[in-house]
Amino acid sequence: MKRIMTRSFLILIVTLAVVAGMCLLAFRVVTQNDQWVAQPYNGHVASSNGLAQAGSITDRDEVVLAYTNDNEERVYHEDFATRCALMHVVGDNSLNISTAVQSMYRGELTGYSFVFGLGVPKSLRTNNSIELTVDADACKAAYEAMGGKDGACVVYNYKTGEVLVDISTPTYDPQNPPEINEDNEDEYDGVYLDNVMSSSYTPGSIFKIITAACAIENIPDIYERTFQCSGEYDIDGEPITCENAHGTIDFTTAFAQSCNVVFAQLAVELGEEKMTETATKMGFNKSFEVSGVTLSKSVYNLENALGDNQIGWSGIGQFEDLANPMHMAIMCGAIAQGGTPVTPYLLDSDSSLLQKLGVTKAKQSEQMLSADTATKLQELMRSTADYYYNARGLTMGGLNFCAKTGTAETGEDKAPNGWIVGFTEDENHPYAFAVVVEEGGYGISAAGPVASAAISSLVNNP
Amino acid sequence: MGFQVFLDIAVVALRFLLPIYAVVIVYQCYASMRRHRRPEKPLVTLELKGTEQQIPVLFWENSIGRSKGSDICVADPAVSRDHCVLLRRQEGWLISDIGSKGGTYVNGKKCRDRTQVLVDDEITVGSTTFVLKRGDEFQDRIRPSWFFSKASNKGSLQPYKLMLLITFFHLFMTVEACFTNEVQDFTPFSIFICLELVLWGFFLVSTYAFKRINFELEALASFLTGIGVILLVRQEMRSAYVQLIAAGIGIVLFCFLVKFIENPDRVNSWRMAIMIGAVGLLLVNLVFGTVQYGAANWIRIGSISIQPSEFVKVAYIFVGAAALDKLQTKRNFLEFIVFSAICVGALALMGDFGTALIFFATFLLIAFMRSGDFKTVLLALVSVVFAGTIVLKFKPYVADRFAAWGHVWEHAQDSAYQQARVLTYTASGGLCGVGVGNSYLKYVGASESDLVFGLVAEEMGVIVAFTIAIAIVGLAFYARAITTRSRSTFYSISACCAAGLMVIQLALNVFGATDILPLTGVTFPFVSAGGSSIIACWGLLAFIKAADERTYAAKRLSKHKEER
Repeated sequence: MKRIMTRSFLILIVTLAVVAGMCLLAFRVVTQNDQWVAQPYNGHVASSNGLAQAGSITDRDEVVLAYTNDNEERVYHEDFATRCALMHVVGDNSLNISTAVQSMYRGELTGYSFVFGLGVPKSLRTNNSIELTVDADACKAAYEAMGGKDGACVVYNYKTGEVLVDISTPTYDPQNPPEINEDNEDEYDGVYLDNVMSSSYTPGSIFKIITAACAIENIPDIYERTFQCSGEYDIDGEPITCENAHGTIDFTTAFAQSCNVVFAQLAVELGEEKMTETATKMGFNKSFEVSGVTLSKSVYNLENALGDNQIGWSGIGQFEDLANPMHMAIMCGAIAQGGTPVTPYLLDSDSSLLQKLGVTKAKQSEQMLSADTATKLQELMRSTADYYYNARGLTMGGLNFCAKTGTAETGEDKAPNGWIVGFTEDENHPYAFAVVVEEGGYGISAAGPVASAAISSLVNNP
Repeated sequence: MGFQVFLDIAVVALRFLLPIYAVVIVYQCYASMRRHRRPEKPLVTLELKGTEQQIPVLFWENSIGRSKGSDICVADPAVSRDHCVLLRRQEGWLISDIGSKGGTYVNGKKCRDRTQVLVDDEITVGSTTFVLKRGDEFQDRIRPSWFFSKASNKGSLQPYKLMLLITFFHLFMTVEACFTNEVQDFTPFSIFICLELVLWGFFLVSTYAFKRINFELEALASFLTGIGVILLVRQEMRSAYVQLIAAGIGIVLFCFLVKFIENPDRVNSWRMAIMIGAVGLLLVNLVFGTVQYGAANWIRIGSISIQPSEFVKVAYIFVGAAALDKLQTKRNFLEFIVFSAICVGALALMGDFGTALIFFATFLLIAFMRSGDFKTVLLALVSVVFAGTIVLKFKPYVADRFAAWGHVWEHAQDSAYQQARVLTYTASGGLCGVGVGNSYLKYVGASESDLVFGLVAEEMGVIVAFTIAIAIVGLAFYARAITTRSRSTFYSISACCAAGLMVIQLALNVFGATDILPLTGVTFPFVSAGGSSIIACWGLLAFIKAADERTYAAKRLSKHKEER
């Protein structure tokens, strides 16, 4: 009997293990309940009147972007273009835009608290408002400059991390959401994705920033070298082409004139290992998080490269390269800031819940570049902007700026995607930006004006 | 508007009241259990012949032998390590030789089977002779378990008051269920009335017909059963009634089992029959079973479907436990191992890995309690890991579940669909829940059985959900504490393992649904919907009830009176 009793301690051990498991569960319930609640399928927040109790959403100047009126209807900004421009940031009544504030933080907007749960009757519920960092006017300006094309535009303050412009097209009016059916599904293809956060595009020539960074760090005499460009160069028997022959040029000029021949050769010379190392350090193949949204990854991967030719193409942003617009802006922020970026954020709220989630402030990121490389990239991008973009009439609200455009081939029967990435150099207006216009043609003519419109609006309507 | 606010405040107040109330009820049940305890004195003493040395006999079953672990250790080289067992039965004290080399003698006569020993009789083992004496002169020698630190004959709360508390809890739940967001009517009251009739009927029968003085264990189970029944009201009325009827059958089974195992020796004579019956049931299941939720563990008879594996759980505890003198025989242990292998194998063939795991864990508990051998337990564990990897290889849906383990949000629309919803709606309920009948989890399949923890958390709040889980966990502590005075090792083993089984089942249910463990498909004891499950739970509870010496004591006391 005594022995049996002693051995029953095993039951005690099992029971204590179960109690430990319960403690773990309780801990998770207490610490993670806000994330658990904010799911698109949650019937308590996603039902038709889920926003009937929600608080308002305002921009940085306290312009109301969405609120619930006395009839429990959700009302968005009065201006059509502003509504469309901010649709992906604010969201609509549905939870279709999963990264939008009204989807991700509906619990906060509708007054969720762990103590009361979501079961509090309407008459007793208190809701919360959320202030965003975006500028409604600048978003509208950028949206209109897109001219109906699909793409994305992001501008953020690289010193504070505030995202000022975040627009994604195609979009629709959240006040009157379209019924998407077989007839119009082409028009609304990808409309539920915020392209700034959740899409990655072929980067084209803007990737030369990464190849340049790799060359600066690994080829000591890069600035002393000269290159020959005859408009075409064979690697492994297949040509890499430029639009026209650049002749004899140095590294800086090759960057400014975006010479494919030079940069493809540099990529081959640097090789898979070094290129991948630099790209990874600069944020490719990594997940960033911006106000709780995990960004679509930028990709630089040579595992499928069959030879030097494809490595060459990868060095000029083709092959399998992909770039996420928000990541490109962060990378430009890093160059402007001496190598280490400030992570952008979208929500500016005193809410204890949101602050606990860590989505309301900028966070220091990992270093992407050495200070020296950052300075040299600044010089390259500054001279590019000074000599070539200014000459073609591209301005950024009258500010000095550094930039690189790209024109990315995406398929035989499609017009190329136009890109511009860069940053302004101004104490009061330190903006990093990235714009991509799908099938827009040349970066300078397609994406340039969008960035220009957004930044001009920010400078002129402070 | 003003009235609406008033009403809303009332509703919210009720919601806040329920969790506190649930904590009070579970606390009161256990507080009463802790109080009910008799002083623990030795029963008789053995006097070493020729000396004044007295050895207290503390238990109802005592092993006598040379080994240190024996209850009565004899330092005599002529005595075997495990020599004999001195046990108390209704007819008096008996001694049973368990295969010693030298044999056991009572008053000089060698005994074969159990032999009665009277006061002042001489028991000879090896070259040592004891005289059986009364134990009155000895003071308290067993340190009572910490669980019973407040021993007293009075419960902290009269049983009928406890039942009243529980009835009011069920009433409040019913009121909540009447005023849901979607429907407002008084149909839940019909089930409430039926429920209370069953529970109070049980209480009255137990108190007046069986003359049992304590009812806390039954009250706790009634509390949980009632929660399960009322939760079903707004899901499907019919299943609420089915659940209630099954609970009624479970209560009858409980009463029957408590009576049936009153005499642990009678149980032993039925052991083979129970074993054959259980194996037969599993075989019938294997042949005629129908597949439901991925496992062929159901038998359909007309419109009734039953899950035989649930009943086999009760049989399993029967076969696993035995009185001390039977426990030591090799045959008994061997039969148990063969039976375990058949049970686990049959369940694995049916694809019911959750229940197979419960059986296996219970097997480990029983095997360890019987043999005390860690090596055997480890060996068995290793073998199950092997078996588990084979299952993972051949059952892709099990492997899917493992792959989604810890990654619920990435698999929220496929293999971790249920877990993601349980977490979301658990959090949505907050501390006090959204109200009975207002949940969204009820639209997810198996929410009332496998995911019931989430359902309770959403409708009644995480406090209630954790409280009912703690109530089950408490059974293990209670079962272990009570074994010090069990009348036989049969009760010690069966009570501990029945409680252990329920705790393991609870863990698999709660942790499976909340992504702490990668398994689902088992029920929450007493609360989950499922007729077979609730009947089996009440059956298992009978073992814990029987382990309490007083369950039968009260009755015997009155019998003595009649005889006089």
